[in-house]
Parts: sequence; C-alpha cells; structure tokens
Amino acid sequence: MKVPKEGSRSVDSQIPQSEKETNQKKKEETLNTKEGEEPQVELPTDSESGDEIFSEDDDALRESGSGESESLGDEDIVTTSDGEGLSDDDGNHVQENGSESDEAHEGVEESDSSEDEVTPRNTIGDVPLEWYKDEEHIGYDITGKKIKKKERQDKLDSFLASADDSKSWRKIYDEYNDEEVELTKHEMKLIRRLLKGKAPHADFDPHAPYVDWFAWDDAKHPLSNAPEPKRRFIPSKWESKKVVEYVRAIRKGLIKFDKPKEEPQIYLLWGDDSSSTEKAGHGLAYIPAPKPKLPGHEESYSPSLEYIPAQEEINSYQLMFEEDRPKFIPKRFMSLRSVPAYEKAVNESFDRCLDLYLCPRARKKRINIDPESLKPKLPSRKDLKPYPTTCYIEYRGHKGAVMSISTEASGQWIASGSSDGTVRIWEVETGRCLRVWEVSEAVQHVAWNPLPELPILAVSAGQDVFLLNTGFGNEEEQEKIKELLHVETPTMPEDSGNSTSAVTWAQDDKNKGIRLKHFKSVSSVEWHRKGDYFSTVMPSGESRAILIHQLSKKLTQRTPFKLHGLPVSSAFHPTRSIFFASTKKNVRVYDLLKQKLVKKLEPGVREISSIAIHPGGDNVIVGSREGKLCWFDMDLSSQPYRILKCHPKDITNVAFHRSYPLFASCSDDCTAYVFHGMVYSDLNQNPLIVPLEILRGHTSANGRGVMDCKFHPRQPWLFTAGADSIIKLYCH
Amino acid sequence: MDVDGDVEESSRRVQVRFITKLQPPFKAPSTSIAIPSNLTRMGLSAVVNNLLAAGNADWNPEPFDFLIDGELVRMSLEEFLLAKGISAEKILEIEYIKAVAPRKEEEPSLHDDWVSAVDGSNPRFILTGSYDGLGRIWKAAGLCTHILEGHSAAVTSVSVVKSKGVESGTDLVVATASKDRTLRLWKFDVEESLDHPMKIRASKILRGHNASVQSVAAQPSGDMVCSGSWDCRINLWQTNESDAGDKLVPIKKRKMDGEDEETQSEGEAVSTLVGHTQCVSSVVWPQHETIYSASWDHSIRRWDVETGKDSLNMFCGKVINCLDVGGESSALIAAGGSDPILRIWDPRKPGTLAPIFQFSSHTSWISACKWHKKSWFHLVSASYDGKVMLWDLRTAWPLAVIDSHKDKVLCADWWKGDSVISGGVDSKLCISSDIYVQ
Repeated sequence: MKVPKEGSRSVDSQIPQSEKETNQKKKEETLNTKEGEEPQVELPTDSESGDEIFSEDDDALRESGSGESESLGDEDIVTTSDGEGLSDDDGNHVQENGSESDEAHEGVEESDSSEDEVTPRNTIGDVPLEWYKDEEHIGYDITGKKIKKKERQDKLDSFLASADDSKSWRKIYDEYNDEEVELTKHEMKLIRRLLKGKAPHADFDPHAPYVDWFAWDDAKHPLSNAPEPKRRFIPSKWESKKVVEYVRAIRKGLIKFDKPKEEPQIYLLWGDDSSSTEKAGHGLAYIPAPKPKLPGHEESYSPSLEYIPAQEEINSYQLMFEEDRPKFIPKRFMSLRSVPAYEKAVNESFDRCLDLYLCPRARKKRINIDPESLKPKLPSRKDLKPYPTTCYIEYRGHKGAVMSISTEASGQWIASGSSDGTVRIWEVETGRCLRVWEVSEAVQHVAWNPLPELPILAVSAGQDVFLLNTGFGNEEEQEKIKELLHVETPTMPEDSGNSTSAVTWAQDDKNKGIRLKHFKSVSSVEWHRKGDYFSTVMPSGESRAILIHQLSKKLTQRTPFKLHGLPVSSAFHPTRSIFFASTKKNVRVYDLLKQKLVKKLEPGVREISSIAIHPGGDNVIVGSREGKLCWFDMDLSSQPYRILKCHPKDITNVAFHRSYPLFASCSDDCTAYVFHGMVYSDLNQNPLIVPLEILRGHTSANGRGVMDCKFHPRQPWLFTAGADSIIKLYCH
Repeated sequence: MDVDGDVEESSRRVQVRFITKLQPPFKAPSTSIAIPSNLTRMGLSAVVNNLLAAGNADWNPEPFDFLIDGELVRMSLEEFLLAKGISAEKILEIEYIKAVAPRKEEEPSLHDDWVSAVDGSNPRFILTGSYDGLGRIWKAAGLCTHILEGHSAAVTSVSVVKSKGVESGTDLVVATASKDRTLRLWKFDVEESLDHPMKIRASKILRGHNASVQSVAAQPSGDMVCSGSWDCRINLWQTNESDAGDKLVPIKKRKMDGEDEETQSEGEAVSTLVGHTQCVSSVVWPQHETIYSASWDHSIRRWDVETGKDSLNMFCGKVINCLDVGGESSALIAAGGSDPILRIWDPRKPGTLAPIFQFSSHTSWISACKWHKKSWFHLVSASYDGKVMLWDLRTAWPLAVIDSHKDKVLCADWWKGDSVISGGVDSKLCISSDIYVQ
C-alpha cells in the first residue's frame, strides 16, 4: 500500500504538469509491481515472545529516529515486520513499513538524521533524483526557488582534498540536498553499534529484567470479569484445517524435511547396456530385445585382406552343418558405391516382425512351486503291506469266460461259474478242481453261503437260480443241508403263487439241489449274512426285479421298494438290516425293518456295474462302466467321497477285503487294481485311500478282460476271474 | 608239485592243500600245490581227480565240491578269496567233499491221480498218498506192493509210524490224513512178496476233525500221531489199540459192505492243541515232547505235549505250507509257504525272529521242505514251479535242481539218505538217487 507522504503531496501542486504526469505513471508502475509481488508466506516458526522482542526492537529503532539505521534494519527484519504487520492491528505501522521498504527499493541513500534536526533544503519529495540529472537545479527550496547545483569538483581535486582532510572519512555526500554532511561522533557510534547488530543506543538494555507491574496476588477481582470465551476451549477450526493441509502436503511429498540424496550423475559409458537381467531386476515388465552385435572390421565394405577368407575356407563352409556355418562372409569392394543392396533385408525384417509378433518379450509370472509338494501326502506302499502282488497259482479248467467267483468262508475253496455252463469248485491251495456241475446255461453269478456250516452254493444261470450242495461239512451238517435243500414239489408253486408267480421252487434231481425258476434271466444272487435269505436281481423284471428268498421256508418276497431305473445288483448290509439296490444311475439304501428308503447315493457316473459294501457297513464302493470307481462314505454325504479314475475300460467288479484294509476293482482292460482303503473308527477322520498295485496277467477274450475279483476271506490274496477262462490267485 | 603244469602260466597261482574227510580211495596226498587262482569248482574238481588218478590207475572221475572256511566255493577261486578277504599268501586249505547231486534218475512211478504226500522215512519202502484217496507202498521205483484203500477223499499227508516191527519189516504202521476229515492207521507187512499190489484196509480210523486234515506226524517213539487240520486244531491220537482199550470204541462200521469182515476200530483224539486261528498246514514231531506246527495264520508254534501250551510262537508274515525241523542239533526250523522263499529260523537265537537263511531260487509257492536226516546242512525243497531243489546251508545257491516234474510238485522227501523222492500234479513219483551226502 503506497501512500505518498504528506509533505510531498502538498508539494505536488508546485510540480510542473509534465513532471507530475510522469511522476504519476511511475507511481502506478511501482504500484503494479508492488501488487504483483505477493507477500511471502513462510511458516510462522517464531514464538510470540520472539515477536514481541522484535516489535520492541522496532520501536526502539523508531524512537532513535535514525533513518539510516531504519533502512538497514528494514533490510534485515523485513520478513518479521511483515509477519507482524499481518497480525498487528496498527495500520500506520504497516504504512510506514511499506514506505520505508519502498525507499530501500529505490536504493536512495538518504539520511533521516538531518531531517529530524534541520528541515531539508530541497522540497522535491520522494522522487527519483535521476529526473533532475540533466537539470541545472536539484530541486526547489521551501519558497519554491530553484536550488542550483553546486559546481562539480574535479575527482582528482576531491581525492586530494579528502586525502588532506583528516575528517574526510566522516563526510558523506548528500545527493538529495547536494551538500556534504559530516557525521558527528555520536552518529558514528550509532552506526558502529548497528553494524555489530546491537541496539543503537548504548544505554538501551535489550535484556532488561521484566518488571511485572500488575499485582497478581492482591487482586480481588480478575482483570476482566468476562467469562472465558468459548473459542479458548474448542480447537481452532482453521488451525486444524491448516494442519490437515500440511499433513497432506507432507504425505504427498510436497513438504520435505530431509534433503533428497543427490545421486551421482555418473553412468557406465562403455558398459554392456543390453544386459536385460539388470533391467528385469528393477521390475521392468518386459524384457528388451538383445542388441545386435556392433559391426566390426570384417563388416566393412573394404576389410583388410586378412579378414577375407580364402577359397578353400569358403568351400569348407559348405561342408559344415547349416547352423555351424558363419553367418557373414567378408567381402571386399573397391568403393562404397559398388556395395550391393543387402539381399536378405526383406527376409530378415519379416523374421524380425514374426519374432516381435510371436515372441512378446514379456516376463512370465511363474510361481515357483515344487511339484512334489502338490502331491497328497500318502503313506508309502511298503508300510501298507501285505497286499496281493504276484500271481502264483492259476486255476485252469473252464472252457469259457469265468463270469463269477466266490470264496468259501474258511478260504479253503473257491467256486466259479463260467459261460460254458459249468460251476466248479477249486482247492485254493493247490489249484485242483474238486467238483464240476453242469448247468445248461451260461452261469452269471455264483455265491457261497456265508455260514461255514452251510456250504451251499447259489448259482444264477439264465432264468434259474440253483442252490447246490457242495458236499463239504461233516455228516450232521450234511444231513441238515439235505433237509434244507429238499422241496416238496407239489406244494411250493401254490405257496409262492399267491404272492408272486415270479418264482417257482423245484427240486433239481440232476444236481441234487433246488432250482428256482424265475420269469426273467437272473443277473446276480447275493446272500444275507445269516445265510437264510438271499436276493436275486432280474434286470428286466420291472416291478419284480429284485426278489428276496428265504431258504428255510422256501419263500419268495418282492421288495416293497420301487426302483427307478434298471437294477444292476443288490447287496445286504454286513451287520444291519439294510439292503442296497443299485440301478444303472444310483444306489438306493433301504431299511428292511422300517421298509423305507434311507439314502440315495448318487455317483454321477454313466452306468453302474457293481457295488461292494465295506465290512464296517458305512462305506460303499461303486464301479462304473466308464472305468470310474466311486467311494462313498455314507455318513458323509450321498455324493462320492473319492472318485478314482484308473481303468481305461469298464469296471466289471469291485470287492472289499473282509479283514484287511484292502479293496480291489477289476476291469475289461485285463487288469485288477488293488487299493488300500483304511476306514477309521474315529468319525472325524476320513477314509485313507492309497492305490497299491496293478495286477496284470489276464489276456483279453472277446473284448472282455477280468470278469470278477474276490478277496480271500482271511489272507490278503485276490482271486481274479478272466474272460480267458483262467482264475488267478495273487498273493502277497 | 607240477601236477597241472599244462595250465597257462599267465594267471596268478595260489598255494593250496586239499584235505578231506572221505575214505581212502578218495584221499588225495595232503601236500601243498600251486594252482591257478582263476580255477572254478570244475577246475578244482579236475585237479583233485588228477591227483587221485595219479595214485590210482583205474580211477573214475568224480565231481567234488570244495569248502573253504566252511563255505562252498561257487565262483572262481580268486573271486572267492577276494570276496571273503582271505589272504592268498599262505597255504590255503581246501576241503573237498563229494558233490551233492543226483546222479541217477529212476523211472517215475505212475499214480492214478495227483501225488499229494510222500514219506521216505523208512528205507525199505516209500509211502505215498494221492488225490484218488489211496495210499500206496512202493518198494522201489515202479514197484507198488500195497494199496491203502478207505479214504473217501484225497489223501493230504502220510507218515510212517515207527513201531517195533521196523527192523524186521513186519507189522509196520503208517498213518494217512485225508480231506474226508479222518486219519487212518494201516498195518501191513512189507516183506510179503506179491505179484500185484495188495489192497489193505485201515486198521484204525481216527475221527474228530471238523474239516480237512492237512498234515499228520508221528511221535518218534511211534505211540502217538498228531494231525493238523483246517478246523485250526492239532489233535493227538494214540496209535496202539491194545493198551488203551477203554478209550477206543470198536465199531463194526460196514455191515452193508459184504466183503469187509475185518474189524475196524475207531479212535478219538487224546488231546487237542488249540491256538492257531487258521488252517494248520503242517505239523512235525521231532522230539518226544515237542510238536512244531505251521499255519495259514502266518505263525509257527512249538507245543509242549505234556502241558498242551505253545512255548514258541513265531510270526513270519506269510502263509506257511510246509515245515521241518532239523539241521544243527535238530533245532533249526525250515519252512516254505505262499512265496518263493525257503526260510530257515534258529529258535535258539534270542531276541530276533529274523530268518537266519533265506533261499530264493524258486519261482512259486514252496510245497515241501525236508531236512536230511543225517546231515546238518542239506535240505530238499519242492515248489509249484515244478522244481525240486537241493540246498546246502553253506551256500546261497541250490546244489542241484531236479526238474523231472512237468507241473507243480506237491511233496518231496529224502529216502534212504541218498535219494530224493517227489510227487506232483503230473501223478508221478520221481526218485532221484545216488546223492552222496556225508
């Protein structure tokens, strides 16, 4: 804010018009520049006490009234006075400060000390003295008369005069009044003190002890009875805004406390800058293409003679492999102009394009995982011994594919049924065929009665189910069996006829057993664990597809359950009165006592071929035609707990071992797989399934492989029945 | 000595001295000689034969086996010394014995069915059992004297019961076990000379097992027999009917059978040893009070007859089909089963149940193993791979492989100390004789 001084304003009228105008213009210019100059914003780091000290200092300076000292002080404390000015209420002070700073800006050496004592001769006011440079006068005196310029002394004379005069160092030329002023001793002292940065008056003590003039102790009433204003208690909104601003600035990095480290501006001039690894290390996503080798002397159009290969060398290149041949053979031309165009330019640029197009040099984000660690932690096969591994005994004698085998309860004998229409009993130990029955049709299924004292064999062939007396057991047992296997022919059909006409019980004289004639062909027959009931499955029997027969009463019952789909096989629960019936799509679990559906197992396979129940009764394995083996944990869910896809062809049968934690599947691919299947009594622990062994040895016949597999009831041995009419025993 | 000076000079030589326990015609001079170290058993045999021929004009070459430090030489001498770390500097003592190998193969004796059991413990005859339910007595190869008729199912095991008549050859007793759940005792006179085989009936039927009897063995004194069966039990039976008449119930069993006028007595088990959980596949009764049994429950047990308790229970991890006790002080147990390895245990060894020898040259189940009665080292084994092998504990290789059967061999035994008899699925009883065992 520039306001001209009173003195000069009054003089304004006396100034000629032209001068006045120019004066105005200059003022405006300076105004503009002043306004253009933004007041510097700096952090108010000074404390209040510091401000007070400075303001006091200022006052003292003003009191002293020394213009020079003020101008000097002005230069030093311009920042503080400005800051103070912003917070201070005293407008005059601002004005004064502004004017003083302006004077300093103009660079006029003006002593105010004389101004205080003697009024200046000149009255032109605060105008640049250059305006009077070319005039003959320096200004006007108080009466308006021109003050003439003094005669300029010769430089040499003035120098000599000053050299002569011992007090000349005290003299200062006052340009404004065009006269020489001699500084007094007192003034010199002031200047010296100021130069040292002390207060100008020697008797001024800047660190005078503070005298508290207010008697705090005796005051009965406070200075002001006004209540403390609310603003004393709430945090300042503007302060907090300011703080937020600063914090943001600090976070953004606009305000820095540490000076950034200066990095050396040196780089490896001759280093190999094509090292992509270094750049890759800095997180570069792409890998720059390697730079081509710089041409050497031999690439020159006229290389030295030692680079040119001899004719023999060129010939020898032809004998080398294409890859080993040098890519470039130096040639010599007489002048650059005779160098032909590069013949492979198009090819190579095309290759380069292909390279860029097909091989983007991007860094592959590859997770470095040890593939071994992804494998499930399975116990070693060695720890899971014993399990069947090697075939030692073969049972030969059948003429056709062996469709089914069954082991006797003690494990001394096995029975087998073949498509050649015979049922045979073999001695396990030696492989001797002990007995042969001829049934007219291809045998589908054989099943040995699970009771050791009832060595009866159930055989399904065509539409018949035969119950055969194997002849084992002592005399008493034989008596009992003969009694069981006796049917009074005339009564039975009537008996069964009223409930189901599906089955007729009849004596079979040829084979000394019972013949159950079904109305459709029977695919499988399974015994209940107590050896009295057995179930038969007729896949095309529709509502009477699964029948349950009772041997002791010679009775046949329909299952009261409705099947949805073609039945495949059935099984009794090993301990409870639960019945499993599998159709092609799912396995239904029925409670025979409550006569209701308990569970439906959904393997999600195309076609179920066989099921087997774990001796514990809670786990079921299901083999499918597409070679998948599903393990169900019935407590867990009706979905498979594990699906093992190992056979490339149909699984024909699956089997559990009665006592060892083993299960097996056999398939048309002529192999049988043996698995470790440990079921824990702890319900929290899932069954452990480990594949153990692939048993090979059977040969394919008519596209069929292994038709049936059964474990030895007591040994970890597996019997497999092949379509190649051989039964094999795999031992541990 | 430059006996074999024609041997090439290039190879290294070893100073050896041949010693033997054989009788004078086989005794070579016991002076030390230098022989090439690359000689194998055959070369050594030639050397010894040369030595013997030098002392005896009409010497027939004889194959020998050689023992160094109690081990049979089965490789070249140099390799053997290297393998055993024996110094070749000092004079090596090589003991030679006659090679244990059958030199003669007798004509096979044909049966009507599989030969399941054979016993050659009596040098006068061979007892065989067959799947046709008949037992047979053979005086020599192809010479059947008696047919033991009566079992209704396959005979599984036979045993000669030593009785007072052994020396004279009259009044001999044999026992047979069968799949018809009975054992039968038979009496016959071996010295009867007949043109055609005589059919004889059992003198005593031992009933009591609930399942197939798998094995029978007689007490060394001949008073009792024991039997192992599929019903997991071992039954002990008295053999003589006279002194324990109160126990025996003579029953005229076959009244409808007109031709049978002979009385057949039936016997009941004196005691039963219970402990096995599966089929007892083999029993042996080597000493008066001790019975060894092997079972399909993977265990071998030693029973004390007096108390009826098992004093040893060895678990071996495999199904055992055959068992014999013999060897050093008749204490080693040899057993074979559902794998091709013939194992030998020493039950006297404390703290360990690991077999001390394992012979694994067979390729299928081992069906029979028998110790030689006299020798501590020799064994015969038969296997389903159709081979009968002779073993010596002093080497891991079989001494001889008898390959005379075409199918599974089901039984094998020593006969007369110098022959091996074996029967198999090809219904033949093969006799390989002239085996010299010390």
